[in-house]
Amino acid sequence: MIAAIARKEFLDAWRDGRFRIAAVVVLALLGVALLMAWQQVERTRSERAAAAVMERENWLNQGVKNSHSAGHFGVYVFKPLAPLAVFDRGIEPFVGTTVFLEAHRQNQAAFLPAQDATAMRRFGELTAAAGLQLLAPLVILLLTFGALAGERERGTLRQVLSLGVRPRDLVLGKALGLGAALATLLLPVALLGAAALATLPDAEGGGSWVRFAWMGGAYVLYLAAILAVCLAVSAMASTARAALAVLLVSWAANAVLAPRLAADLVQHILPTPKLVEFEAAMNQAVQEGLDGHNPRNQRLQTFAQETLKKHGKTRIEELPFNFNGLVMLESERMAGEVFDHHYGKLWDRLEAQDLTVTWAGLVAPLLGLRSASMALAGTDFTHHRHFSVAAEEHRRDFVRVLNEDMMNNTSGGHHGGVADPSLWEKLPAFRYEPPPSAHALRAATPGLVVLLLWAVVAWIALLVVAPRLKPN
Amino acid sequence: MLETLKLTKRFNGHVAVNDLNLLIKPGEVFALLGPNGAGKTTTINLLLGFLTPDAGEARVNGASVATDPIAARRQIAYIPEQVMLYPRFTGVENLDYFSTLGGRRHTREELLALLKRAGLPAEAADRRVGTYSKGMRQKVGIALALATEAKALLLDEPTSGLDPAASHEFSLLLRKLAGQGVAVLMATHDLFRAREDATRIGILLDGKLAGDYATNDIKHVDLEKLYLKHLRA
Ligand SMILES: Nc1ncnc2c1ncn2[C@@H]1O[C@H](COP(=O)(O)OP(=O)(O)OP(=O)(O)O)[C@@H](O)[C@H]1O
Ligand SMILES: [Mg+2]
Repeated sequence: MIAAIARKEFLDAWRDGRFRIAAVVVLALLGVALLMAWQQVERTRSERAAAAVMERENWLNQGVKNSHSAGHFGVYVFKPLAPLAVFDRGIEPFVGTTVFLEAHRQNQAAFLPAQDATAMRRFGELTAAAGLQLLAPLVILLLTFGALAGERERGTLRQVLSLGVRPRDLVLGKALGLGAALATLLLPVALLGAAALATLPDAEGGGSWVRFAWMGGAYVLYLAAILAVCLAVSAMASTARAALAVLLVSWAANAVLAPRLAADLVQHILPTPKLVEFEAAMNQAVQEGLDGHNPRNQRLQTFAQETLKKHGKTRIEELPFNFNGLVMLESERMAGEVFDHHYGKLWDRLEAQDLTVTWAGLVAPLLGLRSASMALAGTDFTHHRHFSVAAEEHRRDFVRVLNEDMMNNTSGGHHGGVADPSLWEKLPAFRYEPPPSAHALRAATPGLVVLLLWAVVAWIALLVVAPRLKPN
Repeated sequence: MLETLKLTKRFNGHVAVNDLNLLIKPGEVFALLGPNGAGKTTTINLLLGFLTPDAGEARVNGASVATDPIAARRQIAYIPEQVMLYPRFTGVENLDYFSTLGGRRHTREELLALLKRAGLPAEAADRRVGTYSKGMRQKVGIALALATEAKALLLDEPTSGLDPAASHEFSLLLRKLAGQGVAVLMATHDLFRAREDATRIGILLDGKLAGDYATNDIKHVDLEKLYLKHLRA
C-alpha cells in the first residue's frame, strides 16, 4: 500500500512540468557550482603549493646575514585548501590564507580571498553546499505544499480515504515517493561531487571520503526534516495556498533571517574585541606582563641576574655564550605566553560563538547544517585554528633555531654576528598536516545532533498529524 | 448492511441530519430523495466516517463507523457527484491506483474490461484524465466501484453529467450488483431513475426521513406528486 502510494507520487512528480523545470534548474546550478568550485580549488591549491615552493627558495637564497635579520626577513606559510572545499567553502573566503612568520610577533592569517574578489567571483561562491542548503528546500516546498492540502481541495483525498486507506500510510507513501523524486534529482549532484573529489589529492589522514559520507548524512537529515515539516503543514493547512504561504515564510526565516539574526545576536551575547583593541591589549601585555604589573625590562633584568647566578659569573661578558641570543629566547618565550593567552581567549570566544549559533539551529535547522557541513568540509573555524596553531608552532621553532644559533655560534654585538648560510637549510620547510576526520566529526557533532533532533521530531510530528488528516 | 441509529449532525447549531434511522439490507437499493440542503451528502459523509456525528451512530455491516472507520470504508465503494482523479495519469492508471488502494489488484486486461463495463470508450482508457469530460471521469468512478467488489455502495448523485445512454447502462449495472447482494444508498434528484432502480425510496427533509416507501408499493403512484406533497407538508 505504502509502496503503491510512493510509486504514484514519484511518477506524478516527474510528470509535473513544474518539477521538471525546477529539477533542470537546480541540477544545472549545482552542477555549474561544483565545476566552478572544483576548478577554483584546483587552481588555489596549485597556486598555494607553488607559492610555498617559491617562498622556500627565497628563504634558502637570502644570502649572508645575521640570524636576527633572518628572523625579521621572516617566512610566509600558506594554508592548504581542503579538498571538500569543493562543496563548502565555509569561512575560507573570510579568513586569511597566508601567515607571515617573523620574530617577536604572532600574526593572524592575512589575505582574505573575499577582499579582492570581484562581483563575478563572489557569484562563483554559489557552492553546492549553498545550493543544497537553500535551493533544495525550495524544491521540496514546491513539491510538497499541495501534496495533501491540494488533494483535499481537489477532492481526490476523499476518494483515496473512502477506499479505507490509512491516513498514516498515505502520508508515509507520499513522503517516500516525493523523497525518492528528490533523491533522483540530487543523486547526480552527489556523483558529480564524488568525481570531483576523486581528482583532488587528499592530505594523508585527512579522511576526505569519511568526511564526504558524513556530509551526505547531514544533508539527508536536513532535507528529510524539511520534507516532513512541509508534508505536516500541507496535511494541516486548509488550502494549498495557505500551506504555500506558511512554508515560504518559514523558508525565508530559516534561510535568510536566521543566519543574519544569529550572527548579530551572538556578537551581542559573546562579543569579540575589535582588531585594534585586541592587538593593543596584546602588545601591552607583552610590555607589561600578563598581569600588567610586571614590566618586560624588569623581568629581563631579573632573568639576567638569575642567569649570572646560575653560571657563577658576575658580568654578562663572562658568560660562555652570546647572552643577547639567550635574551631573545627568553623574551620569545615570555611573548609566547602572552600570545597563547590572548589568541587562546579570542579563539575560544570565536568557537563559543560558533557553538551558540549551531545550537540556535534547534530553531532554524540551517544553522545546524551549516556548522556540520563546514566542519566536515574542513573549512570551519576549528580547522582554521588548527592551521593557525601549527603555523605559530612553526614560527616558534624557526625563531628558536635562529636565536640558539645567535646564542651559541656568534659572540657579542647587539644582534650577534653573521650566520652561516647553511643555517637556512637547517630550518625545515613548513609542512602542514590537516586534522584527521575524527577532528572534523567532533567539530560537527553539535550540528549533527541538531539535525538528528530535527529529523526525528519532524517525522514524529508528521506521524502524529497524519491520522488527523481531514478529508474535507 | 448500511445502518444509521438516531444519527444527528449539526453545523454551527443548524441541524443537517436529525435523529435519522436507516437500515439498508444486502440487495436493497435505497434512493434518498430530498431538496438541496436536506442532508443527503451529510448522511453519506457520516457513513464514510468523514464527519463525526453529534449523536447517534452510523454502522457498516454491524460495525460502528466511529470506532473503526477504516474497516467500514473497506466494505464501501463511494461515488461522489464529481469523481476526482489525478490529471497526469491515464484512466487505466487512475483505476489501477485507486483499486490497489482499495485492496484489489487487477491486471491491465481486467482494468480495461472494468472501464468498458462502466461505459468508457476504449480509446480513452490510455489517455490522461486531464483531458476527460465530467461524464468520463464519472465512468472511471463507476469502474472503481466495480473494481473494489464492495459490499455496500454509497452513491451521491452518481449519474450527474452522464448522458442518457450511459445513465441507462449505469442502471443496469446497479441492478445487477443489487442482484448479487450489494447494499446501495443512492442520493439523487432523478425521480425517474429512482423509480427504475430503487427497491426503496426515502424522502429526506431537513435531515429527517419524511417518507420511506417500498418501490413496489407505490408502483401506481405519481412519484413527483408524492414528493411535492411531502415538501409542502
Ligand atoms: N461542512 C459544512 N459546514 C457547515 N454546514 C454544512 C456543511 N456541510 C453541509 N452543511 C449544511 O448542512 C445541510 C445539509 O447539507 P448537505 O450537503 O448534506 O445537503 P444535500 O442534501 O446533499 O444537498 P444537495 O442536494 O444540494 O446536494 C445544508 O444546510 C448545508 O448548508
Ligand atoms: Mg449533496
